[in-house]
Amino acid sequence: MKDRVLRYLLGVSGAACVVGAQHAAPLHVARGAPSQFVARASAPAADAERALTSARTPRDSALHALNRLAYGPRPGDIDRVAALGVMKWIDRQLKPDKIDDGLLAARERRFTILDYDRGQLARLYVEVQRERRERKRDAGAAMDSTLREQRGRRMAGDFQELAVVRAALSERQLYEVMVDFWTNHFNVFFGKGADRFLMPDYVEHTIRPRALGKFEDLLIATAKSPAMMFYLDNWQSVAPGASPQSPLSASRRGGQGVRPPMPRGINENYARELLELHTLGVDGGYTQEDVINVARIFTGWSIEPPRQGGDFQFHDWAHDTGEKQVLGVTFPAGHGMDEGVRLLKMLANNPATMHHVSRKLCQRFVNDEPPDGCVDDAVAAWRRSRGDVREVLHAIFHGPDFWAPQNARAKVKTPLEFVVSALRAVRADPDTTPRLAQVVARLGEPLYLHVAPDGYPEREDAWVNSGALLDRMNAGVALAAGTLPGVTVSLDSLIPATGDAEQLILQVNDKILGGTMTDNTKQVIRRQTSDISDLLAARALAVGLAIGGPEFQRQ
Amino acid sequence: MGISRRVFVKSGGLALFSLGLDPLFLERAAFASYRPLPSTTALYRPVLVCLFQRGAVDGLNMVVPHGDPIYYRERPRIAVPEKDVVDLDGYFGLHPQLAALKPLWDNKSLAVVHAIGSPDSSRSHFDAQDYMESGTPGLKATPDGWLNRYCQHDREHEDTPFRAVAFGPQLPRILAGSAPSLAIDDLQAFGLRAPRQDGRDRLTRAFEELYAGSATGLLSASSAEAFEAVQLLKQVNPEQYQPGNGADYPRGRFGRAMMQIAQLIKANAGLQVAFTDVTGWDTHVNQGSSEGQLAARLAEFGHTLAAFAQDLGEKMRDVVVLTMSEFGRTVRENGNSGTDHGHATAMLVLGGPVNGGRVLGKWPGLDPAQRFEGRDVAVTTDFRDLFGEILARHLGATDLSAIFPAVTPDPARFPGAVRA
Repeated sequence: MKDRVLRYLLGVSGAACVVGAQHAAPLHVARGAPSQFVARASAPAADAERALTSARTPRDSALHALNRLAYGPRPGDIDRVAALGVMKWIDRQLKPDKIDDGLLAARERRFTILDYDRGQLARLYVEVQRERRERKRDAGAAMDSTLREQRGRRMAGDFQELAVVRAALSERQLYEVMVDFWTNHFNVFFGKGADRFLMPDYVEHTIRPRALGKFEDLLIATAKSPAMMFYLDNWQSVAPGASPQSPLSASRRGGQGVRPPMPRGINENYARELLELHTLGVDGGYTQEDVINVARIFTGWSIEPPRQGGDFQFHDWAHDTGEKQVLGVTFPAGHGMDEGVRLLKMLANNPATMHHVSRKLCQRFVNDEPPDGCVDDAVAAWRRSRGDVREVLHAIFHGPDFWAPQNARAKVKTPLEFVVSALRAVRADPDTTPRLAQVVARLGEPLYLHVAPDGYPEREDAWVNSGALLDRMNAGVALAAGTLPGVTVSLDSLIPATGDAEQLILQVNDKILGGTMTDNTKQVIRRQTSDISDLLAARALAVGLAIGGPEFQRQ
Repeated sequence: MGISRRVFVKSGGLALFSLGLDPLFLERAAFASYRPLPSTTALYRPVLVCLFQRGAVDGLNMVVPHGDPIYYRERPRIAVPEKDVVDLDGYFGLHPQLAALKPLWDNKSLAVVHAIGSPDSSRSHFDAQDYMESGTPGLKATPDGWLNRYCQHDREHEDTPFRAVAFGPQLPRILAGSAPSLAIDDLQAFGLRAPRQDGRDRLTRAFEELYAGSATGLLSASSAEAFEAVQLLKQVNPEQYQPGNGADYPRGRFGRAMMQIAQLIKANAGLQVAFTDVTGWDTHVNQGSSEGQLAARLAEFGHTLAAFAQDLGEKMRDVVVLTMSEFGRTVRENGNSGTDHGHATAMLVLGGPVNGGRVLGKWPGLDPAQRFEGRDVAVTTDFRDLFGEILARHLGATDLSAIFPAVTPDPARFPGAVRA
């Protein structure tokens, strides 16, 4: 242990700061000086890799990369990545199209939710709403839900489960991590009215195709997504005094569904969150005046009624065609939907946006409190590539902070990361029932169900608490004992049952904890299994303690 | 077990861990520094229990303005007939299914605040609940809930594992934030799970040793607290609980949650704020009047509250129960013998410190000209003025501007629900 610390320390002082595949000044210079002072000379990528990861063994580096770019290692992954070369593996992960993912594709076919398009889900939603009304009318509130309603609920659960299964089984791990990142950055609440049927389409067709593309494209896609327009109320934002040629049918009630009371003016919700959360950040230098003008620009960005499919729709009649100023830029009078797209492009490439989103990425991949140098590198890559997410990530993974010893195991896993990494560690086979998603929910992260627009946080204090920790321990024990619902586990091929406690500890440390087991944990497992004569029970306890224990909570 | 997301930044509570698990000590540690408020006992342990009636309860049929002919004119099919109303003050009366609460009104421990609600006009359940829980109407990006912000800013009350507890499967918005709070679905299932008690003890011991020896940072503090909570709860022994004074809670999730809250209060486990919710109030169709759909929900609601007060007995002197709902319902009944989404509603405040036996708030009247947008009961009391009053006068919160940042509740606007 002491040796390793020593090696880390020595490694740091000798390490080089490498940005992209370029050689740079020593780390302490880079830390202290603004990044523009860092000299950048070219050097072969292999040198860069050696310089960056010299503080670690190849296995340590592989474990770190698998913890951050992936949902943790499966048995054998550490050796495979180490043998391939960690930088090579990272570069492959940055090109997911070239990674074969046939196993996952086959598994996805079992999820019938993917067979439904938005129009079909919309019709189901409309039917369920109608049935529910009729049911209430006929018999008060006390009747059982209809078959169709049950089907709708089941499909929602299946869709949450699909996220867990993809994260666990995909070979395109970084891609799945980024899908999760953007789903939170552009958060939509699955439980709000029409978003109950819009959410699957949002994830499948708005987020997933653009998770490793240009930020600008993703931003525009979310703005045009019916899910976002409904979630942040923009669908009912109209220029003051405007009304459609043929009035919308009068509201029967002001419910959650798409049954509007007559829209009465602009709604600022989307505009505010667009600036505060999606792009510039809360200190991004905009004013309330800017928020109002952004809202005016997005008047008319709406959706068609669910019975017609709930697609995005621009309403000319609702658009405010007057002149607007946003962040000092004039949007002249007489424009329609085009000025919204112009604004989104402007925001996507604003320096405050680059910094805000880059910082969040560094928070995700490097540290809850990301170092400035790392953010600077990401911003520089953003600027060079005009917001190519792949390039930004490349810069982060090739920067010294990503590899700095103090950032290794510095992050606590989110509930999703914990559950999925546990599944992967024991090579568990998840089924298509929503039960694993329910475990993730119980640990505090019901998928797609974060109510507020800021998405699930990246900080450990959001996840680490006494109740959730106890539940993580219970989940670990249940998984190891084969009693966690929704999943099949076979430890036999992974860790042979043995009466030799040292052998058992060695195996658990190697297979489950990637060699990070502390002496204390070894002692506890040794003591706790010493009086258990049933070898299978002893193995299950050892594995359960490892997964529920403190080492496995970190990444 | 259903415990989730207890968000937490630890400071003062850490000292508890090193001093063992003596419950008497915990009691002292938790409350010794608390500023005493007027009370019959030297050791005042104020508890606030918040109940959310999700779905927008019809305040007009819960607390009926039976003295107003407009009420009967607008609701020919669903008004509660005069003869059935449990009269309170000659003008307002309780729905007959809330008759179990009448003795509490009579002994001055039940107050009603009528025409209360949000300044935001949203009639969306989602938005209005969000605003009532974040405490910032109109602002969606507020990351935390107002009950949590209270816990963040009141540092006098030392953190115990059970200081802020929501009974339910997930931590609600109202308790989300950086201060310690716990969501518990079932007290009996809190802790490590194993088929037998010796298995549970073994797992508990093993994990306790693992975390005590290897965990760092927040993982270390939180795990220590978790095991402390498990120990504490073992002494509370939830399996064996018998409600006091012959109290009989209605079956169902709500009754069970309230019974477990009573249990934690009586165990002196350090509970200061508790939350649970109860659904089924969105009565668009066939609402019913003295009997029917809403009546059935109110019966469960009223009997549960009455059982809770009975169970706690003397302890109620330290407890305030506050009910809330995201908005009220239309004054006029709709074509389906129901009511649609409205604006102001009524909230109940119950407990020893309550200035009870009175309907508080300014009654705006039911005449169409007096209504909000011509259709709903107008809001004359901002919900933050009531919530703020209870935090200040019952829990001793000193800085309401930190809890309700946009519009600081002003004592001049407090409805007067808690004895000053």
